[in-house]
Amino acid sequence: MTQRAGEHRLVPYLLIALPAAFLLAFFVIPSVVLLSMSVVQSADAIPTGNLTLDNFATLLSNRLYVRAILRSFIVGIASGALVVLLAYPLAYFLVRTTSRWKNLLIALSLAPLLASVIVRTYGWWVVLNREGALNVALRSLGITDQPLLMLPSTLAIIVGLAHALLPYGVLTIMASLNGLNPSLERAAMSLGAGRARTFFAVTLPLSAPGIVGGFLLTFAIAMSAYATPAILGGPTTEVMATMIRRFMLELLDWSLGSAMGAILLVSAMVLLLLTSALGNRQRA
Amino acid sequence: MPWLSLKLVVAFVYLFMLGPIVITASVAFNATDRSYFPPRGFSLQWWEAAFGPQWLQPLVFSLELATLTALISAIAGLPLAFAFQRYEFPGKALVRAITLGPLILPTLVTGIALLQFLSLIGLGRWMGFWALLIGHVVICLPFSVRTVAISLAAMPVNLESAAASLGATRLAVLRHVTFPLAAPGVLAGMIFAFVHSFDDVNLSLFIARPGERPLTVAILGFLEFGFAPTLAAVSIVSMLIPLALVALFGRFVGIGDFLYQEAGHG
Repeated sequence: MTQRAGEHRLVPYLLIALPAAFLLAFFVIPSVVLLSMSVVQSADAIPTGNLTLDNFATLLSNRLYVRAILRSFIVGIASGALVVLLAYPLAYFLVRTTSRWKNLLIALSLAPLLASVIVRTYGWWVVLNREGALNVALRSLGITDQPLLMLPSTLAIIVGLAHALLPYGVLTIMASLNGLNPSLERAAMSLGAGRARTFFAVTLPLSAPGIVGGFLLTFAIAMSAYATPAILGGPTTEVMATMIRRFMLELLDWSLGSAMGAILLVSAMVLLLLTSALGNRQRA
Repeated sequence: MPWLSLKLVVAFVYLFMLGPIVITASVAFNATDRSYFPPRGFSLQWWEAAFGPQWLQPLVFSLELATLTALISAIAGLPLAFAFQRYEFPGKALVRAITLGPLILPTLVTGIALLQFLSLIGLGRWMGFWALLIGHVVICLPFSVRTVAISLAAMPVNLESAAASLGATRLAVLRHVTFPLAAPGVLAGMIFAFVHSFDDVNLSLFIARPGERPLTVAILGFLEFGFAPTLAAVSIVSMLIPLALVALFGRFVGIGDFLYQEAGHG
């Protein structure tokens, strides 16, 4: 009997053994190595073994690198805010509408998630480039006579990322609006509050966790995005992700690349842990 | 009429969301070799070019990679989800955190970590297909573990004990009760894994190599030389594949339910 119980205790470990070993070898250890590389000196991509904080000092004392780090945060915050601003009315509409197209409309608002970020960003390049749709329209309407240079720019990156990440905002805000008890709104209305007052006094505050959650989630993803800044930006609008690519694949300075990777990793983790802490509080 | 103005705002948001995709599709019909919008003239030459060898090779590569990734993620995800859902054991929280970790860490960081690690231990020659397969399984595994866990959690445990009390052996319970009921979660996980692998840029960017590049990396490489209508056509083709997959199987496994649950998890 005791032997059977012993066997039973082994079962979960037998189940997880292979996949856990795989993750240990190709996810945990590489991540730890990356973090340690960020505090090790190296020459020509070969670590020399000496511990140092020089890599971080180099990053933080160079204006170009500091700008890239700051720009990542600005891009993350701005596109996160834009996502929430656009996603909220859409999510509210999708949750409340009684239209028979409801399911189709929901599917349509989430469908962009299925396309690669590259596809979704390419459309913005077509719209915003020198001879793009927007410039053609502005010129034919006689508003401008010279094409506006909208690329590369930080603003274009922000708009492109907000566009790419909008479905995440819709999903998070819809989840929190769905969890909202409709009788609270009815109670407010029956006590004489108008539609607008009910919305601002009841609905909006109660869906705040969805708003903050959607903001933090898109902030974190936008901050580490590569494709959109690469397509809509340029040498004057480097962000952390594009700098990391430069360090790793062009300059072959893996120490600086790892150090910037470590900064990106810690920032994104803090944001996402905040998000999930918030989610837990909401459920509790 | 607040509801009417809300509808107007919503219409604008849909325009913002779908406009660029529609524009990309229409650019691919240009008769000239520039990405004009509205398109000038009408031609199907760029769609032909999108299926030429230059683009077919990375497309097939991506399809193979995503298919294998989905299969391996499902096979590795099932026992993990089963252990998490049905057993209490020391170290469970840690293993679970490690499994879901790739969702929390930026994929780009996972990519450079793998690039560095494989090179440091002398497996640089794995760069390309094998490294990509490893990396994609790492980042796609959380999806299949989560969807399987969701269907296991939705299944009443009573069902399994009922079968056992009626004399079914452990294996028979697994085969006739647990697996069939977990199947939608396994399939949904495979779809998420396939789409995630097929669309990935941030990891593949670092561990692909010439001749062994997924479609997304091939597109990015091409972008450095400029934009051509071919690219619009290729983009649309690459968008239609995951769309078709979900349209075909999504309803069957109730993919929408899983998506809601995913968002609920933050």
